[in-house]
Amino acid sequence: MIAKIAIAAAAMLLAQVLIVAVLAAVQRHVSIYMTIIGVSIATAPVVFILGRFLVGQNLSIMARIYLMLVDLALGGFLFHFMTLPDRSVTLRILVELLVAPSQTLTVDALKHRYSVRSMIESRLVQLSAGAFIDISPERVITLKEKGVWFGRFVTGGRRLFRITSAN
Amino acid sequence: MIRLALPLCGIVFFFLLSLATVRLLRPRQPKSYFVSYAILLLIVSAWIYISIWGVTTLDDALGLTACMLVQALMCLTMWNSFYSLLWGFSGGLMHDLLNDPSVRHVDCLVRLYDTEVGLDRILARRLPNLDRGGYIGFRNGVLQLRPKGRLIAFGTWCSFKVFSLGMGGGTK
Repeated sequence: MIAKIAIAAAAMLLAQVLIVAVLAAVQRHVSIYMTIIGVSIATAPVVFILGRFLVGQNLSIMARIYLMLVDLALGGFLFHFMTLPDRSVTLRILVELLVAPSQTLTVDALKHRYSVRSMIESRLVQLSAGAFIDISPERVITLKEKGVWFGRFVTGGRRLFRITSAN
Repeated sequence: MIRLALPLCGIVFFFLLSLATVRLLRPRQPKSYFVSYAILLLIVSAWIYISIWGVTTLDDALGLTACMLVQALMCLTMWNSFYSLLWGFSGGLMHDLLNDPSVRHVDCLVRLYDTEVGLDRILARRLPNLDRGGYIGFRNGVLQLRPKGRLIAFGTWCSFKVFSLGMGGGTK
């Protein structure tokens, strides 16, 4: 019983990973997160219909719903996993070292490869695309309603969890 | 469907335990507490599920799997929100932009984070952490990848390639 579920879960995850990888390669302008959400939602009804084949025996409606939830949860894990390579500054630093000659860099060389300006400007462009802020041609930043909400969430959360050392 | 109330209760307890830990115990590294709570609550939920409904059929086993995965996902979502949003770079930018109107210009914001010499505000927190964690060696301004860091970096680099993420790190 456990083996059947484990194999079904592995198959569902593998299918989602493969579909997301192919779509990400084909549609580079689309957010990887939207792709993951889309694939997860799109595969859920397929899992509901093909549940019998996935676990190798007939399933009740409730069991198919559970299987669908497993598929959606696996998509959620893939979503969280993707935030690591895609967003993490720390992991980017490690990769910069990996691809550097002798896997060694001075701080100045690291700052040259992955500069604060490029980091900030890239994030600001993404925040602007996400309608959190607006950047004028004079490079003045204006917070939009969504940005104010996000800023308040971070400020309130840091106060709640007593975070003082984050950047 | 009532079985799905179990992971919902689990996540409420996870939040309350995490909040109490951070506010009362104030650990320097709350990560280990969060992991412990998540694992403990998963065990408790599984025990309650098995005690009430048992696991005699495939339907029961699927229900248990779904409940455990949903609970683990919600704990991870909360944990990720804590670290990625509250500690993360984008969250930090939005925090600064909201609370300090004088940095609402791209160049002013860059100046706030950058330094001419030495470690800037972004590297100052990360490099010592990576050194302490054994991922890199950091001596006299020179960084060298260690085996543990090499493994993580290689996995990350593979993800860049498989999912067409460019060079990651929040840059496109």
